[in-house]
Amino acid sequence: MSNTHFTLRLLNESIALKLPKFALIIILIICIMIVFMIVWSLNIGSFNLSFQSVYDTLKGTETDKAANNVVWLFRFPRTLAAILVGIMMALSGAALQNVTRNGLADPSLIGISQGAALAVVASIIVFPEIDINLRPWLALAGSLIVAATIQWLSFDDKASNSLKLILFGIGVSAFLSSITTAMLTYGDIYNASSALAWLAGSINATNWFDVKLLSIAVLILVPLLLILSRLMATLRLGEISAISLGVPIKFVKYALISLAVALAAIATSVVGPLGFVGLVAPHLARLLTRSNVAIHLILTALIGGLLVLVADFAGRALFAPLQIPAGIVTEIIGVPFLIFLLLSQRRKLNK
Amino acid sequence: MSKVTLVSPKEKNNFRSTLSLGILFAFGLCIIMFVLHISIGAKPLSYLTVINSIIHFDIRNFDHVIILKVRLPRAIIALTVGASLSVAGAIMQGVTRNPLASPSILGLLTGASFAIVISYGMFGVFTPYYTPWIAALGALLTAILVLTVASLAPGGASPLNLTLSGAAISAFLGAIITIFNLLDSDNFDDLREWLTGSLAGNSLEVFYIIVPWIIIAMVAAIILSRKITILGMGDDVAKGLGVKTTGLKIQLLIIVVMLTASSVALAGPMGFIGLVIPHIARIVVGSDYRWIIPYSALFGAAYLVGVDILARVIIAPQEISTGIITALFGGPLFIYLIKTRAR
Repeated sequence: MSNTHFTLRLLNESIALKLPKFALIIILIICIMIVFMIVWSLNIGSFNLSFQSVYDTLKGTETDKAANNVVWLFRFPRTLAAILVGIMMALSGAALQNVTRNGLADPSLIGISQGAALAVVASIIVFPEIDINLRPWLALAGSLIVAATIQWLSFDDKASNSLKLILFGIGVSAFLSSITTAMLTYGDIYNASSALAWLAGSINATNWFDVKLLSIAVLILVPLLLILSRLMATLRLGEISAISLGVPIKFVKYALISLAVALAAIATSVVGPLGFVGLVAPHLARLLTRSNVAIHLILTALIGGLLVLVADFAGRALFAPLQIPAGIVTEIIGVPFLIFLLLSQRRKLNK
Repeated sequence: MSKVTLVSPKEKNNFRSTLSLGILFAFGLCIIMFVLHISIGAKPLSYLTVINSIIHFDIRNFDHVIILKVRLPRAIIALTVGASLSVAGAIMQGVTRNPLASPSILGLLTGASFAIVISYGMFGVFTPYYTPWIAALGALLTAILVLTVASLAPGGASPLNLTLSGAAISAFLGAIITIFNLLDSDNFDDLREWLTGSLAGNSLEVFYIIVPWIIIAMVAAIILSRKITILGMGDDVAKGLGVKTTGLKIQLLIIVVMLTASSVALAGPMGFIGLVIPHIARIVVGSDYRWIIPYSALFGAAYLVGVDILARVIIAPQEISTGIITALFGGPLFIYLIKTRAR
């Protein structure tokens, strides 16, 4: 056993995982930061709570009804939703970047989020009586259509040019957002304002039902993603090597794209479009440590969760009592990062 | 690149006279659109009334008042904005040799609106006297920023790099605009419709202040048009032919900023016009900027007036922001251009 790796032996050595120690330490640090952020974001807000009373509330011994309500009804579901959404968007971005072998792929940059947004806004404005539980499905349908369109547009380019894919996305998003804007500006005012609240990336309105929905999605989709990503690792060697190693690449590719779209669509259907998380998290994970696929994905997910948590917190605290949607904050963090990638790494991205 | 063909002087003359006739035709198109624009609306007016009201205006005639106070200003502003943005787009595409360049794609529109929103949000300035200058400053700084980022990236200021850095910087400025919107939503209501690119409710007051600048920029563009054609052959060729490229580029940048800023001050950010029209002009007249610029101006004017008619008719009696419709047409064309032209 080398010094840099830690070997995990389970079930009488029938499962043995060789894990790089450095990555484990980073994962541990990020987990601690997430816990710290959770505690902090449970405390801060327009209704002041002491650490003690938050702790009591979580234990169930707090007697103050207001404190109980604030923590259990508002802040806790919101905090959890932020983490879950961050995980989903980050993994969606990582999967897209893997499949398209394009370091700039991100659900919000190639129009998938906008497709989901248009589908939901259209449903709110054109069919206001539609059941709110159908939103995730509508969002999924909208995103799938956009994903298929982009795939079709870049079909004969052999994924040779990664920037082109993004530009298609920009064109598609401009088109879709203008329809969305038209609906918001000229739809019935009551429906339009409810759509607008959703569209602004409103993590602040999440409740326990949303958290349930998100966690079910994470529990089902993320393991699938991890399994498929192991196969993706061979795809990094190139398509021909992957085929000769016996990987059904067509199946893996489309399954991964669908998973990525599903993750982004469900997250979007709950909190609205949340830009750039899928771009930033995988790259940050890679900058922190170079390691195998599984570790990279875990790290990506954790960074995504932390990022949205911080974004939501910043949006809530910076201009209090006013709330800035987390989507705006992630955009402001994400753009400089995108420019940094553009300036420094394009040769790598454009392989 | 373009094929070298030998053209006899006679054929060349023929082509030239066809193009001159074409200018007349395009001019006619503008006038037809203009009259249509004025006569169509919530209260349909006959063409005769339209022409009469312009020739001998009668203050007691209610129709004449509608035309002169409401519809005429709007039509004139649509003409001006369409022409300015198209010429700005044509120049940008020529200078950067980039089929995707245009005020909206490279972030100049967002930059201009950003400057206006900031100055309004912080100092409450939204007067016709200062707005154009503020918009120009915003557009200029954004242009410089986008160009710097793109040319620092590996591969230089290629079409794709320029477009991506423009989109990124637009997104960033857009996010800050949204924050201002949220921070001060009461005041911001005044700007909301303006920000989607709207021709509604404009008076000619702003127009009179801005129009001299637009005329100066247009004349300068036409004077420099020969050199833009040469610049389109590449910097080295242009230098070999005795063009001082750096100076020329700075002059052209100033023209583009003047045109863009004036349009934003008049009608808000109106996307995709500067992208679409120069391509249509190029299909008609080829690659000579002495023709591309006047054709772009006329086509752009006719196009925006036409789009504005649609904006008022589609969901009448309400109207859609004109900028939304230009984006609906422009988005698909943008995708088509990336597919076929961008490398």
